[in-house]
Amino acid sequence: MAGLDPVPPVLTARVGTPGSRKLEGYVADGGYASWRKVLAGSSTGEWTPAKVTEMVKASGLRGRGGAGFPCGMKWTFVPPKEKRGGKPVYLLCNADESEPGTFKDRVLIEEDPHQVLEGMMLASFALDVKHAYVYIRGEMWKGAAVLNEAVAEAEAAGLLGKNVLGSGVDLDITVHRGGGAYICGEETALIESLEGKRGHPRIKPPFPAVWGVWGCPTVVNNVETLACVKHVVDRGADWFKGIGRNDRNTGPKLYCISGHVEKPGVYEAPIGIPWERLLEMAGGVRGGRKLKAVIPGGASAPMLTAAEIAGVPMDFDGLAAAKSMFGSAAIIVMDEMTDMAKAVTNISKFFAHESCGQCTPCREGTPWLNKMLKRIVAGGGKKADVEMLLSVANQMANGMTICVFADAAVAPVLSGVAKFREEFEAYVAKAGAPEYGLAAPGEVSAKVAGRTAAGMHD
Amino acid sequence: MSGGANTPLGELPGNPHAGEHGARSCGHPVSFSPATKAAFDRLLARYPTKQAALLPTLWLAQKELGWISREAVDYVASLLSLSPAFVWGVVTFYTMYNRAPVGEHLIQFCTSISCHLNGAEKVYAACRKKLGDLAPGGTTPDGKYTVVEVECLAQCDKAPAVQVNEDDFFYVTEEKLDDFLKGLK
Amino acid sequence: MAKVTVDGRTVEVPDTANALEACREAGVDVPHFCYHPKLSIVGQCRMCMVEIEGMPKVQASCTVPVRDGMVIQASSERARAARNATMEFLLINHPLDCPICDQAGECKLQDNAFDAGLPVSRMAEVRRLIPGYERTPIGPHVVADMTRCIQCTRCIRFCNEITETGELSFVERGGHTFVWTHEGKELANDLSACAADVCPVGALTVKEFRFRKRVWWLDKTRSVCDGCEIGCNVSLEHKDRIVYRTTPRVQPAVNDYWICDYGRFRSERLNEPGYTRPVVKGPGGEAKETNWGEALDAVRAALGRALENDASKVVVLGSAHLSTEENWLLARLFRDSLKVRNLEFRVDEGPARRMKRGKEWIHGTEAAPNSRGAEAVGIRRSRNGDGSALDLFLSRKNPPPAVLYIADATFSDRASDPAFVSLLRSASVLIVHARVKNALSEAADVVLPAANLSGKEGTFVNFEGRVQRFDAAIVPPPVVRTDLEILLHLGKRFGAFETGWTASDVFSRMKATVPGYAGLDWNSDDLVGNPPSTSLTSAYDVLGFERRPGEAVFSRLSVVAADVKP
Repeated sequence: MAGLDPVPPVLTARVGTPGSRKLEGYVADGGYASWRKVLAGSSTGEWTPAKVTEMVKASGLRGRGGAGFPCGMKWTFVPPKEKRGGKPVYLLCNADESEPGTFKDRVLIEEDPHQVLEGMMLASFALDVKHAYVYIRGEMWKGAAVLNEAVAEAEAAGLLGKNVLGSGVDLDITVHRGGGAYICGEETALIESLEGKRGHPRIKPPFPAVWGVWGCPTVVNNVETLACVKHVVDRGADWFKGIGRNDRNTGPKLYCISGHVEKPGVYEAPIGIPWERLLEMAGGVRGGRKLKAVIPGGASAPMLTAAEIAGVPMDFDGLAAAKSMFGSAAIIVMDEMTDMAKAVTNISKFFAHESCGQCTPCREGTPWLNKMLKRIVAGGGKKADVEMLLSVANQMANGMTICVFADAAVAPVLSGVAKFREEFEAYVAKAGAPEYGLAAPGEVSAKVAGRTAAGMHD
Repeated sequence: MSGGANTPLGELPGNPHAGEHGARSCGHPVSFSPATKAAFDRLLARYPTKQAALLPTLWLAQKELGWISREAVDYVASLLSLSPAFVWGVVTFYTMYNRAPVGEHLIQFCTSISCHLNGAEKVYAACRKKLGDLAPGGTTPDGKYTVVEVECLAQCDKAPAVQVNEDDFFYVTEEKLDDFLKGLK
Repeated sequence: MAKVTVDGRTVEVPDTANALEACREAGVDVPHFCYHPKLSIVGQCRMCMVEIEGMPKVQASCTVPVRDGMVIQASSERARAARNATMEFLLINHPLDCPICDQAGECKLQDNAFDAGLPVSRMAEVRRLIPGYERTPIGPHVVADMTRCIQCTRCIRFCNEITETGELSFVERGGHTFVWTHEGKELANDLSACAADVCPVGALTVKEFRFRKRVWWLDKTRSVCDGCEIGCNVSLEHKDRIVYRTTPRVQPAVNDYWICDYGRFRSERLNEPGYTRPVVKGPGGEAKETNWGEALDAVRAALGRALENDASKVVVLGSAHLSTEENWLLARLFRDSLKVRNLEFRVDEGPARRMKRGKEWIHGTEAAPNSRGAEAVGIRRSRNGDGSALDLFLSRKNPPPAVLYIADATFSDRASDPAFVSLLRSASVLIVHARVKNALSEAADVVLPAANLSGKEGTFVNFEGRVQRFDAAIVPPPVVRTDLEILLHLGKRFGAFETGWTASDVFSRMKATVPGYAGLDWNSDDLVGNPPSTSLTSAYDVLGFERRPGEAVFSRLSVVAADVKP
């Protein structure tokens, strides 16, 4: 497939080059040319917000934050001006990157901040936004400092502010640091956090495009998505579409690969390259060992065995077809020596720590799963425990909660137990397999999920 | 816990003073220095509501005062016209606001999955042992080091990842632990 | 309006209703915790799960606005399974405190577990505890026990949205979340105990009621608060002649679901011991207990003499504490039958009270509930300097009356003030109705023991002219009588009334001539108000749709309290 042929890096083209953070170098490399052309063309009518939105739609760009929702389509959900009741529109750049295994946004922010800012500027133009915010996780001290400096440079150069470059367009960008909470990567929790509250996700509908931050129409886009927007406007929708596996999976993609590989890191490649190519780019499994399992899309994605990931196209549809998800393209590789029960226990600890606590199934379920798993790997496992894990996990998700954190939390448990059941059972057997002492797990969970326990992650 | 279920009300413990989850007193009222106040005023101008400035204001407070005390909560609440209970609710939701003084070096070990696959928990335990058998989250008696466990720092390719105060450290394996600690003097 | 079908039954509901309310309208009580008609919707408890056609996943019904043609399956297997799941999650960390928890019997967790719980527990892990935050007063009237908390945020939302004081907030995160105040602050607003009312479990309980009575023993009687002229509807909850507590009775026209702490805890005094027999002072001033016959004969005689001499030397005081019926009888007897012109009442200006009704505050400024009722029956309101008989007497412009008849010995706080009492005592004959002893009743020549609010029925007129009926909860101790009965018997001695009249009979007779009473019906819902809640934590016993037209289902408010002083 031509779209999967290697192309020169675009998103990471300037990473690692001297002065990559500075405005001067960015402009020298052609940066802000699109911003200037769009602003200049806005007064002549050559460039309109609708045109930018159409380009992004035509490019097939899908959100790079994890959900993979078509970016241009999301922008069209913002009501037209006459239907907004005078409310301003806000653009929020989601730089809360906290999904275990993900580290691509950090690279973009720390090494080529102006790329992200220009993407924000172009998106703001398309959405009629005057005030945009970057919500960056508190732990990224360096990233926040770099972004703040870049914003200051842009302001000084007249690329931000009032009546930018005489176009009549106003735009300011504020960098807003979070306080340390993974859930604030969820768009409505991010909005709540920006408003100055605990990061509790909101009930949807209403959707942020209609009723978001401060009750105003809001678009939340990932860092990488906004960087892609800049390149779409630079080189055109057709160019973007020409990269990638097919019409529904387009553009260059940053893959994060970590765990048991020789060369963990961020790799840019056309979206949809086959698994084997990606693994090869990362130098293969560490120490020449055999591959055991892969979590393809960050800790929230169902894990796949070595057999299951063979030949899978690494994109949204490819991984969905393999009954997992692409998510933030955070690939965690586990070799044959990995204790899967301990790995799943570790992930369950993450989710128990990060649950916001607002709704019952997740607040109570994530620590319960963690406690059960800890007990099992500590040698206290009981006969019905493995069934219990599945049962409890199955009654937490699928609409039971306000947001899909619970769905994310149960995916590793359900997939890990399904595919490596013998490892969990081995722990229980080692403990003597005592009886649970209570009634057998009920069928409650299966009914909620609308499926049987056996096919629990269809 | 004193008293059983039938303890007369008069003998029940009162609102626990500096309970584990309550804001601790720093012993004196606090306020921002003129420079910080100026930064706060600039900050406020960036948001359409005062409340939205809460997280950044808490960062200013932590930078100036080192940690968020009961008095700091009262002060920040007064600056933003919020109830102190609400502000405390926000402080305790997020992990990075310190609710007590921390050591000179706040050593944060990531123990999420990629770092776990690279032995991070063992390094975390080894570090605590080296610093005098510290409990998780404990501080050395000389106040130099506080060692805590945190979730994914988005440095998974450089696992095991550690953050000390505002700085990032990479590949902190058990073998490299001594050098790492030495470098923190 | 929207037509919604719930479990096969179609009902019509306002467009602003949510699916939970539609189910209620159709007679299906979907279990819930965090939903409350007067508080914003948060959809956090995840108890109210139903299936809605066209929506693939189970839905929290309180978060779904109705749509015309919506079809809800509230009792399907999947909906029930979802509720079972939530209930299981709630019970894994909830302490087995029922035997020692006040909430038992009116606990939503118990009720919903009965409805939607599974018969066995599968939880084998160590439960979450919150040491130090159990069995602790969190304010002057509320005890907190955070291991019981189910994190529904009703209390937080109450303090943010109703009292707008913001004392409570979530602290910590995830499974460690609980509710608390800021260190050093208390839950101490003027409606603080209502936070314990809204709490569906025993995490917040009323201190004064702690361990007093199991709620299933309590008899509940409709009453109206007599603390000020707002007239909040209450329920007196009693057993075997002891009033154990007062709780609010739902009344959107006055107090919604609330009662202020002052009004709530007034009921403590209803159990105070007081006079049980009439008291008549002998010629030497020695007080002697006697019977009704002698006491009323003595009153008849004293009044008779004074009236014969000079009716203008008789001063009669009604009271804003008495019902309109009692005030009316007083007026009928003295003004109409006995031609006494000096018929007045005085009411203290009380401390400012307030109540939240909808989104507005309403205010009470008087220390008694029925000054408007007294006025309506033609008793003159007396104030200092207004030239009324009482004013002229108190300012010594007039000589002391020959007979001073005070139908309520607690008509003013000053009745406990010796200086004021000695002035009143300068009347030749001092007759009072009294329940408990105070300086005035001790100084009186005749004390006629009268029942307190718990022992009588009648109507009060509130600050907006709303006529509200209260019922008798407890038969007064022998031989205490209601003021109504006392006046009827006194009146009979003058040939003014029959004695068999009930308060209802008086009401029917006075309706025609008392402003504001024409056309009212003693038994109408409007007069009587709503029944006492079977369970205070029940969100919507009697009311349908609280949301005003145009008000969005999602009124999630940012937190609160721009005017809170830190």
